[in-house]
Amino acid sequence: MSLARRCGERGTDKGRCGWRWPKTATALKALAGKPRAARTAASACLVLLLTLAGAGCGARPDLRIGAQTFTETKILAEMYKALIEQKTGLDVKVIPDLAASPLVFSALDRGDIDLATLYSGEIFNNHFPLESLTKDRAEVLRQAQEGFDRYYGFDWMDPLGFENTYAFTVRRQVAEARGYRSISDIKPDAASMRFGVDTSWLERASDGYPAFRQEYGISFAKAYPMELSLVYTAVKNEQVDIVLAYSTDARLKAFDLQTLQDDRHFFPPYDASPVMRKEMEALHPGVKEALRPLIGAIDAETMIGLNYQVDIEKKSEREVALAYLKQKGLIPK
Amino acid sequence: MSAGLSFFEFLGERLPDLLLALREHLTLSLIAVLIGSAISLPLGVLLVYSRIGWLNSAVFFLANLLQTIPSLALLAILIPLMGIGARPAVLALLLYSIMPVLRNTYEGFRSVDPHVLEAARGLGYSAAQRLLRVQLPLAVPYIMSGIRLTTVYVISWATLATLVGAGGLGQLIVSGMGVNQPYLIVAGALGAIALALAADLLLGWLESALGRRFGLRGGAAA
Amino acid sequence: MTFADFADYFWRNRGLMGEYFLQHVQMVAAGVGLALLAGVPLGILCMRGRWTARLVLAVTGILQVVPSLAMLVLLMLWMGLGNATVMAGLFLYSLNPIVRNTYVGLQQVSGSLIDAARGVGMSRWQQLWRVRVPLALPYMMTGLRVAAVIAIGVATIAPLVGGDGLGREVYAGINGQNSLRIYSGALPAALLAIVADIGLGALQRRLDPAAARSRRPRAGGGASGKDGADAAVPPVPKAQG
Repeated sequence: MSLARRCGERGTDKGRCGWRWPKTATALKALAGKPRAARTAASACLVLLLTLAGAGCGARPDLRIGAQTFTETKILAEMYKALIEQKTGLDVKVIPDLAASPLVFSALDRGDIDLATLYSGEIFNNHFPLESLTKDRAEVLRQAQEGFDRYYGFDWMDPLGFENTYAFTVRRQVAEARGYRSISDIKPDAASMRFGVDTSWLERASDGYPAFRQEYGISFAKAYPMELSLVYTAVKNEQVDIVLAYSTDARLKAFDLQTLQDDRHFFPPYDASPVMRKEMEALHPGVKEALRPLIGAIDAETMIGLNYQVDIEKKSEREVALAYLKQKGLIPK
Repeated sequence: MSAGLSFFEFLGERLPDLLLALREHLTLSLIAVLIGSAISLPLGVLLVYSRIGWLNSAVFFLANLLQTIPSLALLAILIPLMGIGARPAVLALLLYSIMPVLRNTYEGFRSVDPHVLEAARGLGYSAAQRLLRVQLPLAVPYIMSGIRLTTVYVISWATLATLVGAGGLGQLIVSGMGVNQPYLIVAGALGAIALALAADLLLGWLESALGRRFGLRGGAAA
Repeated sequence: MTFADFADYFWRNRGLMGEYFLQHVQMVAAGVGLALLAGVPLGILCMRGRWTARLVLAVTGILQVVPSLAMLVLLMLWMGLGNATVMAGLFLYSLNPIVRNTYVGLQQVSGSLIDAARGVGMSRWQQLWRVRVPLALPYMMTGLRVAAVIAIGVATIAPLVGGDGLGREVYAGINGQNSLRIYSGALPAALLAIVADIGLGALQRRLDPAAARSRRPRAGGGASGKDGADAAVPPVPKAQG
């Protein structure tokens, strides 16, 4: 059956060819010009997609820096990035918002990231067998540096100069009225206190709630587990009476809160250090050198101030990091 | 083999947590679908009778727009307005659930042959009777397939609710990631997939049962 | 928070926002582009028989139901942190709309037209490439459009597995209780999805010979079954995540 005959039949023989028949002829006619236009459109789309895709895949950075969900690790990561790019010309990328420190360790271990900020007290999280359980600041740091070198091949650099540990925290007003200065001071009132805390602390092995109860003999009336970022508002708004905070969080200052001294030295020291895969250090020897100006240069006061700019003044981590480095003359203005 | 075994041991050990997450997940999804349908069903019927052309276009345009917004974006946009927890999650999910049910209700009611309606009028049916006794039964399979589609996707989306603090199976995935516990991740993920597929099967069965009951083929509009 | 605060924050960080935006588009383009490369041949493969079609559509359909968080995190266990994981996820999500629409598009070409093509002596390949595929293009465009919108949505949760994009700001905003950042990420992402939907929709209508001649009724969202390629798409929710 020839095309001509089919076309000639159009409209006259609906019964045999089905109701779509009138459409067919027009469509077939349209086809004469259609394939080219269609192919052009389709290939244009494809080329565009693949170019973009290629650009996306091709740009693999030389170095990747991991950061956790809380502000200071992100600010520090942006500082590392700026310094390394400035001094070595490497292409550096920050991967922020990693859910928690175990994820950071496993990402470092498998090489998904090369550099991150970590805290010395981490050694109590069962990464490797410890020589001693002492909580002496220098000793914990030494064990972290030697252990992670030996078991994981990480270079745990010297501390940046501040500690970010857990801190029991109350409203300043309450602390002054009741004379709370250290954790032991709250013992008489603990049985009537509502306690707001980050979920994971309740389950931590060596420095979690069960161990705390044993060490201090303090049990709160009720524990309210919540996101870490919510505890500050909760205690400020008197939804709870005491919370477990991070000692460098800017909201301690902004919300007029008072941290209590850990008089029995229950919490291990948490000195912050840049940690890098040694494999990467061998590959890019300039990186460690680029970070050196930060080592021992950031005290707790400074870190809280930088966190303040992000958490309270709502600047971005990159803005704050760059402004700090410029102010210190570490990168050109 | 031993890995598989220990996964099941793990499941047994954490069963209470898993069941709690499952319950939260189901509650979130069901509330969202129920409220969503309670809004979109009457709205769909209303649009069928609406004489205002642009109103239909506007409503469908808006419902379509809502569906286009990335779910994390929608959830996140609601946080500053509603805080954290189950409420913003339910609201976001129910906004998503509107479109499929609305569209299928509309199509279902419009699919009724005008001759049938004419005949019903001839038999002395009032407008309300025509709506409830002629059109509604004929539209049921369409509506059901809209509800089924919505439910499956809402269950899938509810996994993200954990990011705004509403719990559910997504919570297992996120905490599994935080504590580096792959079993927890797998349990949460498989739980959500299984729940979505189970809902699909169950509602599919209900849909074809209703289709038979009302003398139509099932899944008319899916 | 006022609008001025938001505008101020956004403007001060416009470089960063531009970076995130570009990364977002790149991830989506990579995922959807790969899905197009794999999905169109799969759609053609579906023409081989009913069982092939059922199998392929069932598998891609189940992939579609997997919660995006679960999909990305499971892929992360296997592929590690980073953009590659995200792109793999976007690829898997984009398969179903593209395969399904390609298949439906190829199928709807009327038998008499194929008869005619055979009549003028076209080989099977020619029938496919010169008749079926051009006529299926509007349907494929619909698939591409649905896939793109879904991918833009899923890509917002990329930061959870170490990926880039606008989700960075959203996620950082959620973690830091900062609504400025939530909006800085969420609004451009929503806008991107809406623009992609409308833009690709317009492109699809231009490719559709039936729609080019007669303006379609808008109400009913194109599900009335009569109008061109929209009818091929089941009313699957477009935003996935």
